[in-house]
Amino acid sequence: MSILGKIFTWWNGATIGTSLFTSRRGEKVGTDAQGNTYYRSKNKRDLNTAGSYSGGERRWVIYEGANDASRVPPEWHGWLHGAFDDVPESNLPPARIWEADYTPNATGTPNAYRPQGALEMGGKRARTTGDYEAWTPE
Amino acid sequence: MPKVTVDGLEIEVPDGATVLQACELAGKEIPRFCYHERLSIAGNCRMCLVEVKPGPPKPQASCALPATDGQEIRTDTEMVKTAREGVMEFLLINHPLDCPICDQGGECDLQDQSMYYGRGATRYRMNKRAVTEKYMGPLIKTIMTRCIHCTRCVRFSEEIAGVDEIGAVGRGEDMQITTYLEQAAEHELSANVIDLCPVGALTSRPYAFEARPWELKKTLSIDVSDAVGANITLYSKGREVMRALPRINDAVNEEWLSDKGRYQVDGLMRRRLDKVYMRRDGKLQAAGWDEAFTAIAEAVAGDKGSIAAIAGDLVDCETMFAAKALLRACGSNLLEGRQTGMAYDVSNLAAVNFNSSFAGIEEADAILIVGSHVRWEAPLVNVRLRKAAKRGAKIFIVGPAWDTTYPAEFIGTDLAILNELPSHIAETFEKAERPAVIVGGAGLKNAHGKALALAAGWGAAFNVLHMSASRMGGLMLGYAQKGGIADIAEAKPKVLLSLGADETDYASFADSLKVYVGHHGDAGAHAADIILPAASYAEKDGTYVNTEGRVQFAEKAVFAPGDAREDWTILRALADALGVEVGFDSFGELQSAMIAEVPALGEEGLADYGALPEADKNTRAEGEISAYPVRDFYLTNPIARASEVMQRCSSELLHAGELQEAAE
Amino acid sequence: MADRSPAPDTPELRARWGSFAFTEAYKVKADRHIAKYPEGRQKSAVMPLLDLAQRQVGEETGTQGWLPLPVIEYVAAYLDMPVIRVLEVATFYFMYNMRPVGKHHVQVCGTTPCMLRGSDALFETCKARGMKKGHVSEDGLWTLTEVECMGNCATAPMAQINDDNYEDLTPERLDAVLDALAAGEQPKAGTQEPGRHTSEPYGGVTTLKEMVDENHDYRSEW
Repeated sequence: MSILGKIFTWWNGATIGTSLFTSRRGEKVGTDAQGNTYYRSKNKRDLNTAGSYSGGERRWVIYEGANDASRVPPEWHGWLHGAFDDVPESNLPPARIWEADYTPNATGTPNAYRPQGALEMGGKRARTTGDYEAWTPE
Repeated sequence: MPKVTVDGLEIEVPDGATVLQACELAGKEIPRFCYHERLSIAGNCRMCLVEVKPGPPKPQASCALPATDGQEIRTDTEMVKTAREGVMEFLLINHPLDCPICDQGGECDLQDQSMYYGRGATRYRMNKRAVTEKYMGPLIKTIMTRCIHCTRCVRFSEEIAGVDEIGAVGRGEDMQITTYLEQAAEHELSANVIDLCPVGALTSRPYAFEARPWELKKTLSIDVSDAVGANITLYSKGREVMRALPRINDAVNEEWLSDKGRYQVDGLMRRRLDKVYMRRDGKLQAAGWDEAFTAIAEAVAGDKGSIAAIAGDLVDCETMFAAKALLRACGSNLLEGRQTGMAYDVSNLAAVNFNSSFAGIEEADAILIVGSHVRWEAPLVNVRLRKAAKRGAKIFIVGPAWDTTYPAEFIGTDLAILNELPSHIAETFEKAERPAVIVGGAGLKNAHGKALALAAGWGAAFNVLHMSASRMGGLMLGYAQKGGIADIAEAKPKVLLSLGADETDYASFADSLKVYVGHHGDAGAHAADIILPAASYAEKDGTYVNTEGRVQFAEKAVFAPGDAREDWTILRALADALGVEVGFDSFGELQSAMIAEVPALGEEGLADYGALPEADKNTRAEGEISAYPVRDFYLTNPIARASEVMQRCSSELLHAGELQEAAE
Repeated sequence: MADRSPAPDTPELRARWGSFAFTEAYKVKADRHIAKYPEGRQKSAVMPLLDLAQRQVGEETGTQGWLPLPVIEYVAAYLDMPVIRVLEVATFYFMYNMRPVGKHHVQVCGTTPCMLRGSDALFETCKARGMKKGHVSEDGLWTLTEVECMGNCATAPMAQINDDNYEDLTPERLDAVLDALAAGEQPKAGTQEPGRHTSEPYGGVTTLKEMVDENHDYRSEW
């Protein structure tokens, strides 16, 4: 990402201020499948800072790409919100084979769900009540 | 007349009433699942518990407890409340919580009563019971896990339908409702168990996942699938009739409906006539209304009186009257409704009416049926006959044997037996206090007079059992020629108006311009020269007269599809095209004109046809009944023939054996 | 609870039992039961007739007998009643076996009084002999069923084997009974406790002592 982009935009990854803060105070904990990186405060000094309800440490994420909160998968969501202390890999039961990969909320993107009959789906309406089958002589 | 006190209110109840009935008389609602007014008392759901003094200090099942003098009944005490909660909790132990995907949702007794009488939450933490689905035929869908073992379906098929096929196998928690070896329920009233089922265990297969009860528009209508005129409610969503359910009318259908009346409605969406067709170069081609009317006007030009009308089985009185008015304005009186060529004497309508009335036939103690397959021609009358038989009536049938649901004696197919009845039969009828004679479609031709004479001799009620919903109305409106349809053919009309007549043999009208005014592409449409699309019974208001002469009014549920119009508007427009005046411009005017001419049609209820004609003692019956007019119960009218459900029923239930033979 | 569903309706089942009919001797017995009821109420005899049919099947197969579907249909036709009604009765009562059983049907009571008096040990004994609940043993000799209370709580634990009750059982006594049955003998039915006749109290009577030897009129002592 260009320096200019870093300076003037805020919607992709960390801003300069956050990057500086993270490099000084943050301790990298892990990354998820999408490449989002998770940090927690390095120093005990930061323990009671804002963002911590229960006196626990401060935890944050720097997105790889768009700053969309729905990109945080459930296991890291739990960690971010202090539901458990360990990183998800060591804390949660192993993933089941039937578990689908996590997908962020697709609303507003081209991948969003569109019902049958929507213009993007070809506009062909499903059979509805009142449709009848007409008789033809042959 | 015992006097009981219900919640402090003293009332007098009829002898033999139960505590539950006493509570209902006092205006108290008692929850129940197994109890049903028309079935025997089972007392196995325990939902109707009340507190009764004197008696043991515990709640009592009110449905099975006779009300006796001086009883003090409480339905509002803590004991009753906790008892109901307890029963409900036990019922829900094994009932799945799948209301969102259950077709009964919204009209479910268990759902409603658990809201009213149940606890707020479950305390049950263990596994629920699961039961495999049972096959019960093409009409009944089963999800037996939901069954609460009320046994209403078992009692219905045993007591009302008279076909012992549903039973409860196993005991206790392992009890399951099933048919023997999961055979399909094979009788004409099988789908009534769907209405009876208080939960979603038995639901309608054709209607599965189609609609919720609260999104349907309810229209009061009359069933036209047979001449019983069962009272139904049409449930429609948008422009489609989703289902038909019986309405309670003790005089006609009680609470039941035949499978055909219930499930032919999907035929309303298939094979519909939705535009005008004209035959050009031997082929039916789409055309406009004006063209068609011009063609008809040209055909009768110069000889307006040369026009005839044949009424089909499903038309209402208004349509028939509109056609009659049109013909009269043209100067013709060639009207006929008996499509298959019957020509019985209609000079006295009492002689072609079901005079006992349906409720009255239950009281008969000796019944002679001449040429009627009652089970197929009028399943709901068969229910009444079964009731009569259970009360001890002796039933004798002339005609080919069919599966009766009650003890009956078949006395041969030769009608001549009526001239010399075997002595035990003659004796039965002479001794009987309330004998009755029923003449069906197969007996009308050759044994009508003889049956009248027999009935007069015994002092018996004389009944004719018709098969088409329009018959009695048609006869009241004069849709009968002396020689039947042959008279019409002989008159060689230039234009033949066919009002949905699909059973007629059109070959005898080869020279006429055949105008078919109807709603389904069936035999009539194939033979027609001009097709004018009209409305079915669900798409127009109309008056129907059933075989006992009961005038009933049906309402319009949905609109006719495409270009189709209500029948009377077509005939009114045709009158303009022919340049004649029929005297009505609106449905209201048409109805008033009809009632002015036949006052009985304006009054809902039994029409009065006067006394029976003097019977000629010397008539003799002869001939043989080789077959009944109804060949296939499920396919008797154009709507049923268009219905996929009815076709499936026919092939699965009636012709399953034949198909297997063909495969071998 | 044992599986009460009828044996599946297969062509083999039809071939084996389709021609089932009462033998002359059984017919006599069946008609005697039917004659107990008024004319037209022959359906009331469905339970004894099912039992007779089961016994005849047992004789034909050298087991305790069971009720294949064609036999149930035969009974239904014999009594002129719908098959489903007969099936309802047959599946309701435990005395009708819906699946084939062995030469001896061992029904051990497992309800609370018997359990407290050691019915678990009886099941162990049976298991040691190769029986498995609800199954026919491999030699075709035994079928073990755990049943609910048979009304012999005073002489618990008990087992009903074929038509007889064996009470006051211990593993050794049950073994003895089963050994005798396997050897083709008919062990003494009833209580297996030496010196006990029926279900009288252990160690002699404690009340109504005068009644032991002769009839005694207690009325004057009230």
